[in-house]
Amino acid sequence: MARLRVGPLERAERRLGYALLAPALLLLLAVVLYPIATLLWTSTQQLHLAQPWLEGFVGLENYARAMDDPRFWSALGVTLIYVGVTVPGAILCGLGLALLANLPFRVKWPVRLGLLLPWALPLVFAGLIFRWFFEYEQGVVNAVLRLFGAAPLRWLSTPDLAFISTSTAIVWKSSSFVALVLLAGLQAIPSSLYEAAAVDGASAWQRFRHVTLPMLRPAIVVALIFRTITAIQTFDIPYAMTGGGPGHSTETLAMYVHRTTIDVLDFGYGSALAALMFLLSLALTSLYIRQTRRDEGTG
Amino acid sequence: MPSFKKARALAALLIVANGVIPALWILLTSMKTETELMRVPITVLPDTPTIANYVRVFVDQPMLTFLWNSLAVATLSTLLCVFVSALAAYAIVRLRVPMGTFILLAIVLVSMFPLISLMVPLFQIMRTVELLNTWPALILPYAVLSMPVCTLVLASFFQDIPQDLERAAEIDGCTRVGAMWHVVVPLAGPGIFTAAILAFVNAWDEFLLALTLSPRVPARTVPVGITLYQGEFAFPWPIISAALIVAIVPVCLLIVIFQERVVGGLTAGGVKG
Repeated sequence: MARLRVGPLERAERRLGYALLAPALLLLLAVVLYPIATLLWTSTQQLHLAQPWLEGFVGLENYARAMDDPRFWSALGVTLIYVGVTVPGAILCGLGLALLANLPFRVKWPVRLGLLLPWALPLVFAGLIFRWFFEYEQGVVNAVLRLFGAAPLRWLSTPDLAFISTSTAIVWKSSSFVALVLLAGLQAIPSSLYEAAAVDGASAWQRFRHVTLPMLRPAIVVALIFRTITAIQTFDIPYAMTGGGPGHSTETLAMYVHRTTIDVLDFGYGSALAALMFLLSLALTSLYIRQTRRDEGTG
Repeated sequence: MPSFKKARALAALLIVANGVIPALWILLTSMKTETELMRVPITVLPDTPTIANYVRVFVDQPMLTFLWNSLAVATLSTLLCVFVSALAAYAIVRLRVPMGTFILLAIVLVSMFPLISLMVPLFQIMRTVELLNTWPALILPYAVLSMPVCTLVLASFFQDIPQDLERAAEIDGCTRVGAMWHVVVPLAGPGIFTAAILAFVNAWDEFLLALTLSPRVPARTVPVGITLYQGEFAFPWPIISAALIVAIVPVCLLIVIFQERVVGGLTAGGVKG
């Protein structure tokens, strides 16, 4: 309904529209935009709550300090390894779960519940539950090892094993959301495509490879991006399972920011670290937008 | 096809086992005595099932306070979030606000900001306005946290309501706002409800902001309260597992009862986003 002139009715409608949008925009301004401005400003300050006499503008010094901080690089490395391991892990496990859940069940609710429960659990609870599984003496994982005559392992106090156990918890927790997204994608694939493939004599693997996967691509991309953005922020599960240890071997960027600000009270440096994290996630977000635009263009 | 039936049953079993066994194991743990938990090799079923751990959760720990804080923060932030998102979604979908899609995109992008980057300045701001350890410190950020998914879910529901119904109400003498209230809100009921469940679960589960903005014991929410339980010597697993079950059950009930809505809302928010 293209109109040449904006009539009075239209104008009134528009005014109402702005009025209705105002609360949402105000909330965004107060809780996101203003804090982000504060963050960027604080990152150029010397601001240590325990040493208020040292306050002042220091330019980009906090960022320079991050570049020379081995613990920052270690935390960045840990974060990227978590992304590299848990994102593909969650996508693969989620795809497996989604393919299983897509079978024509007569009773649907147990399967749905099985997918929803891990999603509905707080991340820290998943961390606590898996910490209990991986306990040395009373953990169920070592109990199974003992049952098979193997020596129990110190899962949470050996660097590599601590990384494996926390990653397991993250993959378990996040694969259910991936499965739900992919399941919706699977259910949107028209069955006529499979029938046509079957008429052409395609095997089950060929149907999966040439019908399911290409049709599922947009859903996989969405799941991939969502998972990546949450993986960059990994905090709760290592916090609950290892506290970042042993040493700093499972300390992520988010945990280092938390420690620098809330525990050490160095808000200037902590803000610079948080701003760097923000940039990292901004880069990935723009990747996401470009991807969706391209999908819309071709699809 | 009996073999297909068997494969189907096996698939269902796998999914249910994967989702439920961890919580089930915690349930079994919570019913064991402390001495039984110390025993090696470990037991699967409790020897003498006990509810002592549950009693201790409420007697030795301020669990009721945690539950009350969580319930209040989650409920109030959900109300705020759904109200604000519904208005915004309606404006974008129905009132042809200029740059509506752009505004929708901006709202969605908020969900991509790392929470940790917001946590640092929010702590400073809440400290300045002396809101640390109060409900509003969490209610406001939580309302924004769920705004993207709520706005998307509600926008897609509003889009499905035939515009003629509103026009008819207006012809019958309703004002624009009146038509919204009497026609759109009742018809969008399921959508509003779906959005509310998602916002509630998000708020109920949140940990990082609760840990930093509301850390004092009387102000803690359930996830923070349980994670920071301190035992005299070791991590107090019997109490922790009982507390976990107490905290998991309400959310469990919620998703069992409303599972279809939850799945629908999640995938609408996820896929269309």
